[in-house]
Order: sequence, then C-alpha cells, then structure tokens
Amino acid sequence: MELLILPLVIGLISLILPSNWSKLIGGVGAIASLALACVHLSGFDPLTQTILASSNKMAFGLTFNFGYDAFGLVMVMLTNAIIPIILLSNWNRELANNKLFTALVFFMQVGLLGLFTAQDGMLFYIFWEFTLIPIFLILYWFGAKENNKVLFKFFLYTLIGSLGMLLALIALGSSANSFAYADLKNVQLTQEVACWIMSGFLLAFAIKIPLFPFHTWQPATYTSSPMAGTMLLSALMLKMALFGMIKWMLPLTSEGIEIMKWPVIILGTIGIVYGAIIAIKQNDIKTLFAFASISHLGLIAAGIMLFNTAAWSGAVIQIINHSLISIGLFLAADILEKRTGTRQLSELGGIAKLAPRFGFWFAVTVFAALSIPFSAGFIGEFILIKELFTFHSIIGILAATSLILGAVYMLRSYQLSMFGTPKISAFEDLSWNEMAVFIILSLLILGIGLFSSLIIEYTEPTFRILTETLTSNQQIIE
Amino acid sequence: MDALIVIFLTGLIGLFVGMLKKPYLNLLVTMLGLVLAFFLQLNNGFYTSPLSSYQVLEFNISQLYFSLVAIAFCMLIVLGGFNYFKRDSIHIGDYYGLLLFSLCGAICLIGFTDLFMFFLGLEILSIPIYVMVGIKKQDVLSAEASIKYFFTGAFATAILLFGIALLYGATGSFNLIEIRGAIQAGEYQATFLFIGILFILGAFLFKVGAVPFHFWGPDVYQGSPEIVTAFMATVVKLAALMAFYKLFNGTFQELGHFWIGALYFAIGLSLFVGYLGALKQTKFKRLLAYSSISNTGYALFALLSLSNSSLGSLWIFLVGYGCATIALLTISMAIHNDNDEISSFKGIGYKNPFIGFIMIISLLSLAGIPPLTGFFGKFALLMNAYSQHLYLVILALISSAVGAFLYLRLMVLSLSKDTEAESVSISIWHYIVLGVCASGILGAWLIVAI
Repeated sequence: MELLILPLVIGLISLILPSNWSKLIGGVGAIASLALACVHLSGFDPLTQTILASSNKMAFGLTFNFGYDAFGLVMVMLTNAIIPIILLSNWNRELANNKLFTALVFFMQVGLLGLFTAQDGMLFYIFWEFTLIPIFLILYWFGAKENNKVLFKFFLYTLIGSLGMLLALIALGSSANSFAYADLKNVQLTQEVACWIMSGFLLAFAIKIPLFPFHTWQPATYTSSPMAGTMLLSALMLKMALFGMIKWMLPLTSEGIEIMKWPVIILGTIGIVYGAIIAIKQNDIKTLFAFASISHLGLIAAGIMLFNTAAWSGAVIQIINHSLISIGLFLAADILEKRTGTRQLSELGGIAKLAPRFGFWFAVTVFAALSIPFSAGFIGEFILIKELFTFHSIIGILAATSLILGAVYMLRSYQLSMFGTPKISAFEDLSWNEMAVFIILSLLILGIGLFSSLIIEYTEPTFRILTETLTSNQQIIE
Repeated sequence: MDALIVIFLTGLIGLFVGMLKKPYLNLLVTMLGLVLAFFLQLNNGFYTSPLSSYQVLEFNISQLYFSLVAIAFCMLIVLGGFNYFKRDSIHIGDYYGLLLFSLCGAICLIGFTDLFMFFLGLEILSIPIYVMVGIKKQDVLSAEASIKYFFTGAFATAILLFGIALLYGATGSFNLIEIRGAIQAGEYQATFLFIGILFILGAFLFKVGAVPFHFWGPDVYQGSPEIVTAFMATVVKLAALMAFYKLFNGTFQELGHFWIGALYFAIGLSLFVGYLGALKQTKFKRLLAYSSISNTGYALFALLSLSNSSLGSLWIFLVGYGCATIALLTISMAIHNDNDEISSFKGIGYKNPFIGFIMIISLLSLAGIPPLTGFFGKFALLMNAYSQHLYLVILALISSAVGAFLYLRLMVLSLSKDTEAESVSISIWHYIVLGVCASGILGAWLIVAI
C-alpha cells in the first residue's frame, strides 16, 4: 500500500509548504516513488501475483483489494518512471515552482497507481474517475486561456464514457454479487449479454484511447493544455484505457469477443490511416503530434482485440514506447513554441543550424517515432502488424501503412521546422534538463528495443493466465 | 421519543431566552438542546426510556439513523445561520424556535407508525416553514414565496387528508401494520384504497418536490433566506422521503404493481426536468432548487426496490446530498451573496483555497464523481434498481451526465483565475459547518461500507 500512500503524502506536503519548496519536493518525491517501485520490482516473481491489501466484502459488494501481476507491475513501473521524467522536463518552466501543480501531479500519480493495482471493479472505476479531477484542474488552471469549451468537451466526453463503464460494472457486479476481480471473472455470460457489457466498457475506453470516431476531444485538448498536462494525458492517461482493455474488459467479457473484435479492429485500422493522413496535412505541430498519437494508439487497440499472448506482448512494448516517444515529441513541440512563440510549421525553419544540439536530439526522437530498427517501436509495431496480418491480410496491410505514412508526417514536421532558411534570428539551445530528458528517453527506447525479450518474457505468464478465460470459454461452447 | 421532547422544550425555552436579546446565549441553548437530543437518540437502545410504552412513534435502527442525520443537519443549519440571524437579534429566539419545532415534525415523520401521527408530523414540519419562508418581511420575493408555498402546501395537505380518509374507509384503520395486514389479506375496498393511495402519492410528490408537483420549488427556494432553503432542501426532504419510503415501500408494498407506474413517470421526468431547467438559471438558489428536483428523482429510486434493502442506500444518498447542499448554501452566505447571482461566485474558489476545496468536493459529490459520498449514494441506489428497472437506470446515468455539466460549470466559474474576486473572511461558525460538511462528503460512505 505504501506504493499509493507515498505520492499522496508527497502531494499533501507540497500543498502545505510554500511554493519555492515544490521543486525540491517534486524531485525527491518522484525519485522516491520510482525507487519504491524498483523495490517492488526486485521482489516480484513474474509467475505469481502480489497482494498489497485485501478485505472482506463490504457494503455495495465493494472489496478493498489491491495487488498486481506482472503486467500491472510493468504499468506501475512505467507510471513511476514517467512522472520524474515529466517533472524533469518541466524543471526550468514557470510551473515547476507552483505548489498546486506539483500536488496535482502527485494526486494524478495516486490515481494511476490505484488504477493499475486495483483488484476490484469498483476500485478500478473509482480511480478511473479520480484521475479526471487532477488532470482537469491542471488543464484548467495552467492551460491556455479561454479554453473552457475545450475542457468541458474533454471532461464530459470522458465522463459519459465512464458512465457506460459504470453500467457495465453494475451489470457484472449484480450478477456476481461482488466486485472482486476473481468473482467478476467467474461470471458466466451469454454471448449477447457479454456483447452489451463489453460495449459499455468500450464506450469508456474508446473515448479515452481515443479510437476513431471518438477522438474529437483530443487534438484541441492537447494544444490548449500546458506541456506537462499533455504529457500526463498522452503518456499515462491514455494507457489506462489500454490497460483496462487487457486486464478488465477482455477477460471479464471474453464470451463476446468473437463479435466485438470486428468493430474495434476496424475502427482501430481506420484510426491508423485516418490519423496519419490528417497528421500529414497539419500545420500546427502539437496538433500533428496529437493525430500521430491517434494513429499509434489505433494500432495498439486493434492488436489488443486479437486477444492472444503474442499480440499483447507487442502491445505492452508499444504502450511503453508510445509513452516515451510522446514525452519526447511534446517536449520538442513545447521547446519550439516557447522559444519562437509559434507552433505553426510554416513559420518555423532552419532551427537545426541555430541549435545543433536540439536538432540532433529532436531527430533522435523523430526516428524513434518512426520505429527504426533497434528502437522499441520497431519490435512493438512489428509484432502488432504481424499479428494483425495473420488475423486478416487486408487489415494487416492497412495497419502497415502507418509505417510509411508515419515517416511522411514525422519527417515533414522535422524538415519544415529544422531545415531550410532560418525564419528566426536566435534560438536558445537545449538547457541541461531538456538534454537530460532526451538522453534518458533515447537510452530507454534503445534499451527496450535491444532487450525487448525481457519485458515480453516477464509479462508472458500473466497474459497466458488472462487469455485462458477465452480458451476455457471456447471449450464450454464446444 | 425523549429526543423529541428535548427538542420541543429547547425550542420553547429558546423563545423565552430570545427575550433577553443575547444571540450567543440563544445559540448556546439551542445547540445544547440539539446535542442532548442527538445523544439521547444515539443511545436509544442502551437505556429504557420512561416513554417506551408509547406506541405511535417507534425508532428502529434505520429510523434512528435518519433522525440522527436530521438532527445533525439541523445543528449545521443553526450554526451556519448564526451570522445571518445575529443581524436581527430581536427575532433570533423566534427563528431558532421555529427551526426546532419544524425539526420535531421531521422526527415525527421519521418515526410514525400511525397515519394520525404522520399527519401531525407533516403539519408540525410544514407550518413553521411557511412562517420562516416569509421571514424577510420587507422582501417582495420572500412574501411571494411564503404565500405560494402556503397555498400550494395547504392544497396538498387537503389532498393528503382526503387520501388518508379514503384509506381509512377502505381498510378501517389508521395503523400501518393493520393497513398492511388488511391489504395482504385482501380485505379492502379496492376503489377507495386505490384512489386514496394515488392522492397520498400526489401529496408526497408535492412535499418532496418531484415532477409533476415541483412548480413551487424554485420560487420558494429563491424567496427564502439561505438558511431556510438549506433546511427545506435537507431536513424536510429527508423526513418526507423517509415517510414516503415507509408508507409506500412498507405498507403498500403488495400493491407495488399499482403505484409503481406512476412513480416511474415521476422519476423519469424529475431526472431531466430538474437538470435541464437548471441549465439556464442565473440565480444560485433557483439553480439549487432545480438540482434538488433531479436529486429527488434519484432518491425516489429507493422506492422502486419494493423491499427494505434500499434504505441504507437512501440514507447515504441523502447524507451526501445534504452535506453538499448545506456546504454550498453556507458558502453563499459566507461570501455575502445577497443578490443571489451565480456570477458572484466567480473566482471565489481560487482566491480562497478553503472555499475552493469545499466547492470542488461538494459539486463533484453532487455530480457523482467517486470517491465522494454522492457517488456511493447514487451508485447504491442504481445498483438496487438495476436488475428490474434497467431503462430507468440508463436514463438516470444520462441525466447525471447533464448534471455533471451543470455542476462543472459552477465549479469552473468559482475556480476561475483571472478576476478581481476578493478574499473573504470566513467566520468561525462557517469554518465549523464547512469542515463538518467536508468530512461528511469525503468520509460518510465509509460508515456504510465498513
């Protein structure tokens, strides 16, 4: 439980102390929770599950069960590793000295960790909704002015989605008479009911991922939020939905997978192509990266719906990779915006000459986003596309276009902003903390690319257990 | 039972103490009486009351919980309204006396076992409120509210009486257990009974302010002082819903097939009329009145279960709703929002972090965001109704999205950053009230959960 309590305490401390302490508290707290997660990692055997807290059934069928399996632990590690990186990239920004901001980031972390370790349907829902509050306040207080409309759209969109999930959970919980994960998993459903329940879950997840056509909140929200907010959203919050699909939706309603996988895979594939094509035409660099994100996540979502261990391994690699890349890309976008005052590609150019270090590290990030060999994205996308191709050749081919189209929009954004004749006179090169972020990200991406088998083998037993529900259901049907 | 007498006597003593024109003394007396009543009620099972042979009022465990909450809400209102009443120190004894007498009625309504006691309770509850609504004598709106509430209320009471008379004619008894026995045995005059039930249902829907009998709500809430609004929105609603629940879900349970259709209609409309009506309001108390209509719709879900299982859900829902409403109205008093405009909340929350925090949690609790009490109340009610009334549950979820928009707008307004809002000094009484409400919103669900 100390995993969750530590960030909560840090958040409260930073609220109490004056603002000029918040940098220090943020740094120390983030490193401490990362160290704590490492302790958990070192003491964990991927073949087992760890229980952090458990209780008897309480009123409303609620239980107070926390724990993680290998997949949950990977997500916990990811969260606790990403938060320090976000704070580091924010280090010399104005926001780093704001105690409210620091506290909200840590409350966000509590929500995410609770979500990834919840072993009870209601707890999952509670943390799912809870994360909405800090991110909303971050976007509202520290985002662009006059963004109320965008924010309302974001909040209501996600809220309506989660009401669908609430209904699905109530349906499952009232037939299981409990919300504990094991009990929910044991509920036997008919195919029709399972489809309805899965649609309830999907409403929440599709909006958060976001899948095409539920993505309309995303680009505007990304562009109007502060850098750290965008990073939290794209690197961590969207992953909640992917985690929920693997850990909750599919094992609980595996009876409906045969019908429900088609719409999701098709929507995902449309999203891959659509996001990429829209991204090619974008002039605003943040919007461009937002659509690129839709394209990447469509691929992951489609892969997850294949419901097999191999595709999920690819999905995990790609989840981690996307978190790292999106931080790099949004940091680069923010650097461009802060130092030139514009995000429009047409007004940028020639920066590589003025700031060679930035030019180099931005290029590294762009190439990582292109999934060149030796980067983590290569492994992840390769596995996902291969599995989609095995599933259906046309979908596989369409999904593979993301590689080509990705090269087009990524290289275009890089070329227009960094090469050509300089349209601005001066550009301050990277500061030490931005440099450090880029180096850490690149090393992680390279490391995961080279040693991806470690993660794949680590999560494989968990995925085998989760996919077993499908096989056992099929046996019952046969 | 003892608590009832203590409250009544406190009210009476308060009237005389009020002649001394010492507001603090009056506050002290009132609070002492309420605290004493609270503990008498809390220890109800641990000693034998000298009045225990009195059969017409009966407090089992769930009735106790409801009456405790009613007394606690009343304490909050007494404390929160002290600054308001102090301005008019000649009348402070009258104000507190009326509040306490009304609370007596609420407790009768929670504990009745007999339709006679029920009617008495309802009248004791209502009559002081008619007076309190019109207590701002110079204010046109207040006078309008008082007259409107009195006439419509009297009309509803007449219909209720007619219903009770028909019920007596049909079953030959005032006693709830005997009525239920007659219904179970089939020994009743069907026509009289059914018409009587419909009349009582209508009167109840009026008292709790549900569609289609909600028209008095916004005007009356707007016209009365914040403190009376808070009393009407919490204590009165709680008592009336408890009586509603007891009568319909207990006594008329076997006739559920007959009245549940009408209730369906009332719930479905309340859910949407309230929130949709609130969207266009510019006055804060009107907005709360409309939101209370929708919240009543949620609370009525408890009646759909046709069993005793949903009483706990109703309780937790009403606690969450009551704490949030009292907190919001207290904030409105603390910032001296005398003209009752929503726009005067702008930036208040950002300039005053404490108020901001309370605003955030109470509005999110009303919107049903976990892990706040409001969420667990809604969730438990919907969970109970889910298996039999799926479509109504879906409607409720949709309407709660509308409600979330409404509350979010208010929250965003109060947290707005760039404004000339001033930081306000909050009196100690308001600190206490807001602190208690906050702990209720954050933690009350734990009582039920554990």
